[in-house]
Amino acid sequence: MTSSPSRADTRRQVFNGLRVVDLSRWVAGEFATKMFADFGADVVKIEKPGAGSHSRRWALVPGERPDPEANPLFLHLNTNKRSIAVDLRSTEGLELVKRLIARADAVVESFRPGHLERLGLDPDELRATNPRLVVTRISPFGQTGPYRDREATGIVLQATGGPMNATGDAHRAPQRKPGLLEQYTIGRTAGEATLAGLYHARRTGRGSTIDVSGQEVLLSSADRRASYLLTAEYSGVNAPRGVRSAHRGAATFTGPFRAADGFVMIYITNQEFWNRLIRLIGAGDEVFLGKFLDRPHLGDDWDEFMDYLKAWFAARPKIQIMTDAEAARIPCTAFLEMDELYAHPHFRERGAFVTAEHPVAGRLDYLGAPWRMRDGFEIRHTAPRLGEHTAEVTAELEMSVVQP
Amino acid sequence: MTDTNLPLDGIRVVDLTVVWSGPGATALLGDLGAEVIRIEGNNRVSRQASARTTNASVANSGWSRNTYPDGKPEPRPYDRTALFNWHARNKLAACMNLETPEGHEAALRLIEISDVLVENNTNGVLEKLGLGHDRLLELNPRLIVARMPPMGMTGPMSNYLGYGPNFNSLVGIAAMDGYEGEPPDSAGENYHMDESAPAGLAFAVLTALWDREVTGRGGLVEFAQAENVMQDIGEFFLDYQMNDRKPAVLGNTDPALLQDAFRTAEDDRWVVVSIRDDRDWAALTGVVGDAGWTALGRTAADRRANSRALRDGIAAWCAPLSSDDVVRRLAAVRVPAAEVMSELRLLADPHLAAREWFKARSHPSVGTYRYPGHPWRADGFDLAFGRPLPGFGEDNEYVYKTLLGYGDEKYDDLVSRRLVTDEQFA
Repeated sequence: MTSSPSRADTRRQVFNGLRVVDLSRWVAGEFATKMFADFGADVVKIEKPGAGSHSRRWALVPGERPDPEANPLFLHLNTNKRSIAVDLRSTEGLELVKRLIARADAVVESFRPGHLERLGLDPDELRATNPRLVVTRISPFGQTGPYRDREATGIVLQATGGPMNATGDAHRAPQRKPGLLEQYTIGRTAGEATLAGLYHARRTGRGSTIDVSGQEVLLSSADRRASYLLTAEYSGVNAPRGVRSAHRGAATFTGPFRAADGFVMIYITNQEFWNRLIRLIGAGDEVFLGKFLDRPHLGDDWDEFMDYLKAWFAARPKIQIMTDAEAARIPCTAFLEMDELYAHPHFRERGAFVTAEHPVAGRLDYLGAPWRMRDGFEIRHTAPRLGEHTAEVTAELEMSVVQP
Repeated sequence: MTDTNLPLDGIRVVDLTVVWSGPGATALLGDLGAEVIRIEGNNRVSRQASARTTNASVANSGWSRNTYPDGKPEPRPYDRTALFNWHARNKLAACMNLETPEGHEAALRLIEISDVLVENNTNGVLEKLGLGHDRLLELNPRLIVARMPPMGMTGPMSNYLGYGPNFNSLVGIAAMDGYEGEPPDSAGENYHMDESAPAGLAFAVLTALWDREVTGRGGLVEFAQAENVMQDIGEFFLDYQMNDRKPAVLGNTDPALLQDAFRTAEDDRWVVVSIRDDRDWAALTGVVGDAGWTALGRTAADRRANSRALRDGIAAWCAPLSSDDVVRRLAAVRVPAAEVMSELRLLADPHLAAREWFKARSHPSVGTYRYPGHPWRADGFDLAFGRPLPGFGEDNEYVYKTLLGYGDEKYDDLVSRRLVTDEQFA
């Protein structure tokens, strides 16, 4: 029952002593367990021999075949974890995983519903052996219900759970969010659910099985869907697509505008912001100021106003616009790209990025603490190579048999 | 009202959050059984609906009026808006004007007997009110103070104004959001920072509570929302360094999948279809039958090279069908496909109904409606879903008399001076 000799536990972290078994192979589950690993838990990833996690092979660019030992997605999601290569279909492999789970605090899995049972890892049986265990199950539509066996990808989850129907232009296709954002939301929520279960187990000695339906996570989310659902229930009306900030009215507007060298995002949500904006873009233009200051609504002159605004933005660089807007206390920010984010003085000054060495990928800056607290986030080591800790973890289990 | 099967039973949360992501976070703590007490002044708008809103004033506000039951804010608009009520379940509400000596005293006494304080105001607001975290932690060393400034409490841009989409743009999310191959300004809105904060903050508070079990001490949680949401594009941050490139605007497409959104025969009803591999492709073409384009997609390389033509083909196949028809046929052969669900379709969805996801709840201010359910469920402990919302000031007596121990005389004095009311003026 000792911690791994390969880990330099130089300082206390809040989750020291907590053991999590990660059976997931994709973003949501891996992000959920990363939340524990980065704050000190011992997270052991179970990976398929030879293949490993899907996140080792997922390409960010069409047609690319990423190096499974140096794929940015895997490197990001698996900091501080250990990896063991285990064939769950072999008797020995299954036995090893069962023993690992018997002494663990939590298991996170994202197989298709029913698969865990077919493998011989029925949560009820796992909890009978280890009554304090928390088993978190992530799936697209939950473990029950008529659609539980439906296949899903990210866009399917966004279509069924996210506010996609209200996103995009009115006369064009609904628009999904970019990247793998929905997976992260589901994973973060699964992490929160797991910790709730652990906290309950700590207080009562009783474990739990948690059913995380990706669809339901997104339906309850703060990216408008929950408020849109309640609005529809209150009034029988769907949220429209192509109307920015459907929640607002009057002389307020939000959205992106083209600057000389990129884009800016502006949020004019009340009369105070409106007047500040009018003063900023109309400085020295008495006719414009006289016409648009203090206007609660615009009418036929909306287009005239917008043309003026667009011309003002288009003539200026995005950072300049952001700086001037902030000086006037107007919410207006630049679209930054990855190179700009990487070099950004605000995040650099705050130490938001952490440099760490990986045997294959080399020296890179990783994203740092998602939040800060005493004895919190630290990168103790970068993501594991496939099966890097198989021997080490096996030896620990042997020892635990001798010294239970 | 003790239920020991709720994980956070006995944990009291003082909720000073406003607008969106903060209240979304405290809703999750309430789900876990914490006693979440919203402190709200009667002299400022705290629920995104002014007391002065009338049926007439919203009549021409377009879609926005639908956030009120039947489009009617009156009476008590601040109790009737979906903008507040989507996250108001389980919470308590007490009237306290923090800038008055009486409100300040009551807040300090409540904080003294609480476990957690959550706030997402602009940097410096609590300090101006004499409620900075240093002072509160001195008063109550077991307190966990969770603060959610979007850019953090330090750094050159820590005081920048903005909403979720503003900070989405600063961390690089907006630059990759848009229709395929177009500039990044063409998509609709994206409130992903708001989406990512609630579960992250609830996790952070649980982490601090976990630590308190060991150390006996509370402390500060600095939850910089931009740094939290940044995690969600961490792969692109590393990819930039490793391969010197930035993410492209991909719209509904995906680097590894053949996918898009397709129009069906029904009015503004769309479906999405994803092809992951050769098996999915064979299954799709088995359903579609012989069409000119089906020969163009046999291998992953073919599907990449001919992506546009193949999607045009799938679009033509979907166009005369109903969304139910498309989804049923493709789901039967295990191809990922779904309707892009509108709210009204979700309210009538058989799967969500079978899982009893929506919860019908009543409140005197709004009547009986179905509310969005919990983000997850557990076998082994309970989640709370009691009262759907607290009316403004609904828990004044409980908070002042029961919790703070105010006698009738002191309480009645506050009421008579309109410092404690069950109606909002702003």
